Amino acid sequence: MLLFDYSDKFIYTFVIVEKGGDHRLIELKNIRKSFDGKEILKGIDLKVDKGDVLVIVGPSGSGKTTLLRCINFLEKPDAGTVSNDGFTVDSKKASRKDILTLRRKTAMVFQHYNLFKNKTVLENVMEGLVIAKKIKKGEARKISLELLKKVGLEEKTDAYPAQLSGGQQQRVGIARALALNPSVILFDEPTSALDPEMVGEVLAIIKEIAQEGITMIIVTHEIDFARDVASSVVFMDGGTVIEKGTPDEVFNHPQHERTKKFLRRLIHEPEYTI
Amino acid sequence: MNKDLNYWLDLFIKVLDKLPLTLFMMIVSLFFALVIAVIVAVIRIKHVRILSGLAALYLSFTRSTPLLVQIFLIYFGLPQLLLVFHIDINHWNRLIFVIAAFSLHTGSYLAEIMRAAYQAVGKEQLEAALSVGMSYPQAIRRIILPQAFVIALPNIGNQAIELLKDTSLAFTIGIIDIMGQVRIILGNNHGIGIFEVYVVISIVYWIICIFIELIINVMEGSVRKRRALLK
Repeated sequence: MLLFDYSDKFIYTFVIVEKGGDHRLIELKNIRKSFDGKEILKGIDLKVDKGDVLVIVGPSGSGKTTLLRCINFLEKPDAGTVSNDGFTVDSKKASRKDILTLRRKTAMVFQHYNLFKNKTVLENVMEGLVIAKKIKKGEARKISLELLKKVGLEEKTDAYPAQLSGGQQQRVGIARALALNPSVILFDEPTSALDPEMVGEVLAIIKEIAQEGITMIIVTHEIDFARDVASSVVFMDGGTVIEKGTPDEVFNHPQHERTKKFLRRLIHEPEYTI
Repeated sequence: MNKDLNYWLDLFIKVLDKLPLTLFMMIVSLFFALVIAVIVAVIRIKHVRILSGLAALYLSFTRSTPLLVQIFLIYFGLPQLLLVFHIDINHWNRLIFVIAAFSLHTGSYLAEIMRAAYQAVGKEQLEAALSVGMSYPQAIRRIILPQAFVIALPNIGNQAIELLKDTSLAFTIGIIDIMGQVRIILGNNHGIGIFEVYVVISIVYWIICIFIELIINVMEGSVRKRRALLK
């Protein structure tokens, strides 16, 4: 007997959008990246449609985080092109300005939150709007307060990051990403560093914004959450994409042995039932 | 007894008369030293080609030669060098030369302090700043420097104290700061009362240093408290 019943959640709102080919938003072509001679990404191709919620899963060291960081050039790929919202950058000819333009189409939520320690909660959310997007302070403040309310932190606007719990910090991180109104939000293991009791509150918010049709790429180990929120799933191992499909296809009917092996280790029968 | 007290008081007043100049040299030099330090630190961190090599050369030279030699090099040497290029700076105020020497000297120590502080802030903060669309200079100015500055504050305080004491070398090129004043007093007295005069100037330096320490502590404490950071 299962502890949790997910059967009512197997409804994929985004499948229709995903099938529509002319809604292509992000396209990665032949992305390669090595660190110290070790090839981490071995020529990845990936397409993400507008409104898609793509979840990337895979064992540690499979290159999923590196791939995510290549999309906003926090890692500069050794080869390959990244397209986002009609703007294409060839990693071999990328100028500083190209990278900035591409990066400004994205926002990122980090594993360790990475809130600006010298800024209050409100300033953290406003910073990108005022400095990068040159939005007037009053307007930026309004947008930021609205988003902080959305993530349930309207009472913490004047606190500094060090005064917040991990879950609260990550919710600020999400508000900061949302404020930029990017074409895609990149989530890098957003709950991996959290205490177990705080994972739920963060996942709930990610799920909520997923349902608003914001394009997201999420690297996570939370398989149950992935089933719930993803419109498509990519399984990576050893620097390559092994399998891609709907959550149902990848999680319930995996085609490749490596996927099966990975899932067997992650999804196991609960040892105790009540 | 009363006569003794008046004698000491008189010495203090004479020395303190030149304190503004000492403080002026220290504060202006510290300001330029900080500017130099940030620029050199960024050059070193970013490994900017050519400039990075020059920065390393500058750091090595300024930290491996006595400050007194550097003051003489700049005061006597630089005008001669520039004369070759038909630039005459001999009429410039001596303060400019001495402040240039102090700034360059202290700047090299501060540059290494700032570099260490930058590394202590961590890559995550920079990546977060870049991820919200800031350019590298924006990230440095708005996110990295304010944090690095707090980390570096105790060491900056130490350098400010060093700098204050270094300003006592300015008299060697004829600037009348508190040290220059002491030399004048001794000259007028034909060397009588040498002990008392040096006791007085020691106390003056000492008290200013205590003040600098206090200011740094209060600054650091208030920022850390405000940002709720643990010490």
